[in-house]
Amino acid sequence: MTARVATRPRKRQRMRLAPYIFVAPAVVLFVVFMLVPILYAAWLSFQSYKLEGGGILGTRVQVFAGLDNYISVLSDPALATGFGHLGLYGIIAVPLTLGLALLFALLLDVPAARAKRFSQTAIFIPYAVPGVVAALLWGFMYLPSTSPFSYISRELGWGTIPFLEDPGIFGSIANIAIWGGVGFNMIIIYTSLRGIPDEIYEAARLDGAGELQIALRIKIPLVVPALVLTGIFSLIGALQLYSEPTTLKPMTDVISQTWVPLMTIYRNAFLTDDLPGAAALSVVLAVGTVAVSALVLWLTNRRNKGAQS
Amino acid sequence: MKKKKLITSIAVFGASALLLSACSAGSGGDSGGKVTLDFWSWAPNTQELVDVWNEENPDIQVKYTDAGGGKDSSAKLLTASRAGNAPDLAAVEYPTLPSLIVADVALDITDLVGDEVTDAYAEGTLAQTTIDGHVFGLPQDVGPMALVYRSDLLEQWGIPVPTTWAEFATAAEAVRAADPNAYLASLPADQWAFYAGVATQAGAEWWSLDGNEWTVGIADEASLEVADFFQDLVERDVISTEPILTPEWNAKANGGTMLSWPSALWAPGVIEGVAPDTIGKWSMTNFPQWTAGDAAVAFQGGSAVVVTNNSDHPEEAVKFATWLNASEEGANLILTVQNGYPAATSGQEEAKSSEAPKLMPQQSDYYDLAATIASDTIPVVWGPNVNVAESAFTDELNKAINAGTPWRDAFTKVQEIVVADMAKSGFELSNK
Repeated sequence: MTARVATRPRKRQRMRLAPYIFVAPAVVLFVVFMLVPILYAAWLSFQSYKLEGGGILGTRVQVFAGLDNYISVLSDPALATGFGHLGLYGIIAVPLTLGLALLFALLLDVPAARAKRFSQTAIFIPYAVPGVVAALLWGFMYLPSTSPFSYISRELGWGTIPFLEDPGIFGSIANIAIWGGVGFNMIIIYTSLRGIPDEIYEAARLDGAGELQIALRIKIPLVVPALVLTGIFSLIGALQLYSEPTTLKPMTDVISQTWVPLMTIYRNAFLTDDLPGAAALSVVLAVGTVAVSALVLWLTNRRNKGAQS
Repeated sequence: MKKKKLITSIAVFGASALLLSACSAGSGGDSGGKVTLDFWSWAPNTQELVDVWNEENPDIQVKYTDAGGGKDSSAKLLTASRAGNAPDLAAVEYPTLPSLIVADVALDITDLVGDEVTDAYAEGTLAQTTIDGHVFGLPQDVGPMALVYRSDLLEQWGIPVPTTWAEFATAAEAVRAADPNAYLASLPADQWAFYAGVATQAGAEWWSLDGNEWTVGIADEASLEVADFFQDLVERDVISTEPILTPEWNAKANGGTMLSWPSALWAPGVIEGVAPDTIGKWSMTNFPQWTAGDAAVAFQGGSAVVVTNNSDHPEEAVKFATWLNASEEGANLILTVQNGYPAATSGQEEAKSSEAPKLMPQQSDYYDLAATIASDTIPVVWGPNVNVAESAFTDELNKAINAGTPWRDAFTKVQEIVVADMAKSGFELSNK
């Protein structure tokens, strides 16, 4: 016993180095691939491209521009329209994704459920399909001449279903996201459900509760942290909507190049040669996303604290 | 045990550091005299042309990459150039050339081109890549506007081939009457180059230069009248506005419910690619005119090859570009392998005795007609922010089509956006 006590200080000296070395690769990667680009984008957002050199054309060079980019970004009406489209899409996609994920998780958790493994895999597989592939897939299901749904509705005499027109386009894009997102969120909620001790259910059944009451009164309240987590993920995902509208854009003319903020960023950065403007809009979007997430977390924490007191 | 942990952690860190450095991109190599050039293009079968050059020139090897169509290519080129990663050579469409010059992408090769280049082109052709006396690229192919249409169906329904836009409108109505599912053509808002072409044909000048001062004329009266004309056709549902070259449009081209594509001389190759079962059913004729008896047409598309500022081997790059676009061998390959209409006069001469493109084997006078069309073209000045104009035009016109608002207002809004952008960059403008 005394021997071990005597060597403990020496152990502490040697162990201090190892954790830092283990963490170093992750920190280096984070700094190089996340922190440095973010700082560069922030720096770039204060620059602008101005013409230099005489003659007919000249060349565009980078000059300091202060807050000009932010002013023009925030006063652009396309930004408000973009957020409007995001809002409409979010109202459809986020509640449906979470609601369906919760429903499937609860159904799978019922003791009498059959074919659990198969159902879990089947519901999760759409998440494994890459975003662009999924959008292309659904795009073909939406185009009037290749859509099986429109074919059926035409045979029944109801005409073509307007998947790719206003306002159906919001539902169509939301559908792609819901189809892909339900599986992932379901797994998270289901795992959280599996963590509830069985004694609670036994006690509830002794008190005469049915399955539905157990679900509503016990399971859902205990799964709220998982719901908050998936809710915030879905919200952030909704704010960063990009691949579905961009992939569907060539197939329809109701999606403009600035339909959502991230498409505007892409257009500014790579199509209209305004990298600093795109950087400014990226910073605005990132700050907005962080603000919304913080707000949601604060609200749910307040509610939790209120419930506890 | 503790020593092992420390050694392990250092080993892991060292391994990941090595992995990271191995991930860095290797630069294109020259090994002792041999030069490798990177070349981006999108014209069909370009790899075959590059293979011919590589065989004949072992010390200047060219690596070809398909960079996607004209618009995709230009976006990628711009991004790569700003990152310092651009290829040595790239194909660019004529309208985007000024904006690429302004973005410092294209190299001034006036001192590197010899007489073989200046002799290979007609004056007006080389003028498309020359600004203020400086040559920035070598023209590859030209796209004088022409009408490619389903001659078999028009004949079957007794619809005369239109020679003016008024006749085009009548023909469109007749097509709708003959088959309620069919349209004579689709003219969507993302076909910016088409609308620019017909407006130029009507006398509008979307950009013009007076010394160093620019004037933007997208909302010229001539332009606005063109807008009115096509808006009327769309509102009466005689012309479609669905996006072209989608699976939807291709299915219609195959099925005989999309009857023409008013575009340019490069269209047959594209149509043959998406609708190979309709070979022999299409023909090419003169582009409809605004005034009967006129013959001049504008350009739509067509590309040139530029050497980028990033290139480490500009002389070798110019050698390759000269062979590809200005030599007889290169022009012949552009004509026969790519089915493009060569910019070099030797290619155009040779075309006259060539067989028609694969899409219309029955039209034996195709290249005679093409030569006539190419001989009467309207020179166009493209502004320094064509990319901004194209983006704004597509969005505004789509908005107008979907909301039913006047197209005139869309054109006017586009002019405002273009003028504002040029002013912000610092160009001299005569518009207020």
